[in-house]
Amino acid sequence: MASNMNQSAEAALVIDDVVKRFGRGQEIVTAVDHVSFSVKQGEFVSVIGPSGCGKSTLFNIIGGLLGDYEGAVKIGDERISAPHPAVGMVFQEESTFPWRTVIDNVAFPLELQGVAKSERIDRAHHFIDMVGLASFEKAFPSQLSGGMKQRVSIARTLVSQPKILLMDEPFAALDEQTRLLLGDKITQIQQQLNQTTLLITHNLTEAVQLSDRIVVMTYRPGRVKRIVNIDLPRPRTSDVVGSDAFGHYVAEIWNDLREEASRGMADSESAASRRAAHG
Amino acid sequence: MAAAGKISVASRDVLALRLLVALVIFGAWEAMSRSGLFYGEVVPSLLKIGASLMKLLVDPIFYRNLQVTTVETILALAIGAGAGITTGIALGANRFLMRAFEPYVYYLSPTPRIILFPVMIMWFGVGPASKIALGALSAFFAIALSTAAGMRQIDPVLIRVGRSFRANIWQMAMKIYLPAMRVPILNGIRLGMGTAIITVLLGETKLSNQGLGYLIMQVYTRFDMPGLYALLIMIFVIAGAVNALIGHFARD
Repeated sequence: MASNMNQSAEAALVIDDVVKRFGRGQEIVTAVDHVSFSVKQGEFVSVIGPSGCGKSTLFNIIGGLLGDYEGAVKIGDERISAPHPAVGMVFQEESTFPWRTVIDNVAFPLELQGVAKSERIDRAHHFIDMVGLASFEKAFPSQLSGGMKQRVSIARTLVSQPKILLMDEPFAALDEQTRLLLGDKITQIQQQLNQTTLLITHNLTEAVQLSDRIVVMTYRPGRVKRIVNIDLPRPRTSDVVGSDAFGHYVAEIWNDLREEASRGMADSESAASRRAAHG
Repeated sequence: MAAAGKISVASRDVLALRLLVALVIFGAWEAMSRSGLFYGEVVPSLLKIGASLMKLLVDPIFYRNLQVTTVETILALAIGAGAGITTGIALGANRFLMRAFEPYVYYLSPTPRIILFPVMIMWFGVGPASKIALGALSAFFAIALSTAAGMRQIDPVLIRVGRSFRANIWQMAMKIYLPAMRVPILNGIRLGMGTAIITVLLGETKLSNQGLGYLIMQVYTRFDMPGLYALLIMIFVIAGAVNALIGHFARD
């Protein structure tokens, strides 16, 4: 118990017995069921689970977009119930502002804070450079590829210098090669900034490639099934996916995930056959 | 390069066809005019219309009335757009309000506003105020509907981005909602301007003592057909130019 106390003392983010139910009466669905874990300062943690494990709900709760829940998500002593300046969100969907250039997109959070224009440009420039888009500052999102747009979104979130970077499957829409290379970029940035990061994903190799720890969730209701420490060496690159240790972790976590994923598949198949029967 | 060449050839053909259509119309008009089949000056010769147009362009009366109509239209559009955008945002943002007010907006919007003209005359008098009120009313519906539709088409993730960066209501409106709705709002304003011009001119032709609509009726009463056509040409040109200007800003 003493070690637990220590852990929460240095934790940047504590998720403490969080429950979220949707609907009312007979129709209540428990999306997140007594979930607890914490993210330490500078740590990279992934939450992995099949669709329907409540991970997007958890993302919205931690980001403060879903204020009505039971339990507590805490930063220091503060319970999150609205968007918190310490948390920077990156969304799964393409979320750049199409009417702004890359540099104006990235400078957006600074604009909201009333930072002076020259400083805004300087700081935005720094993070655009970091995600490798220095030569595209004047471009509009419509001129960029999907992977580049997600990098703009990441730079836009980093520019507000959040204590915790919270990402919801930011690479879900990208092809595997692009995803691996962007993973490299993320690892590099995370190590450079010592950025505390919480990644929500359903992609097993992505989770193992990037994380220090992985929280495996169960299919509906979403509970923590297991927390796995990933003891792969740092600094890390995407080369790590070829190593034996990597394969070992993937196999181990898949072992846990398979049961949950097949429950999810069975559920959606029976729902589909009910619909077909009615139709 | 080849593709660009093809496009420019095609657009040259389009331009050629347009010019041909104009020439055919002018030719037919002139032929009708000279045939003597029509009574008096109903179809005046192009030369006479041209001369009237020249006279019109240096006539201070034309400019005075043009100014009246322009000011009426601008004020009507400003009032209609202000109320329309506000209403559109309220309806688009609030499902409850939308459901409550939708039937009023949808069923009232196609009703010809000119039937309210007598009411406006009683409320606002025969001067410009009644035309402004009627014009504003007609612009309002087009702009409100277009804004409400634009509001519902905003990508919801952009709103979540704004919330996650803790934008306040004002910042959400100015930096997310309005820029995201620029095109539908400008399209609404373009439609609203069209109906505002129509309604203002129509009002002026019915009951007024100034404005281009009034001038049209004056010229018509004198049976000055070349002058009437010259006036109509000027109105086409002005309305077309303003429409093109707004269309330019509405392009994405």
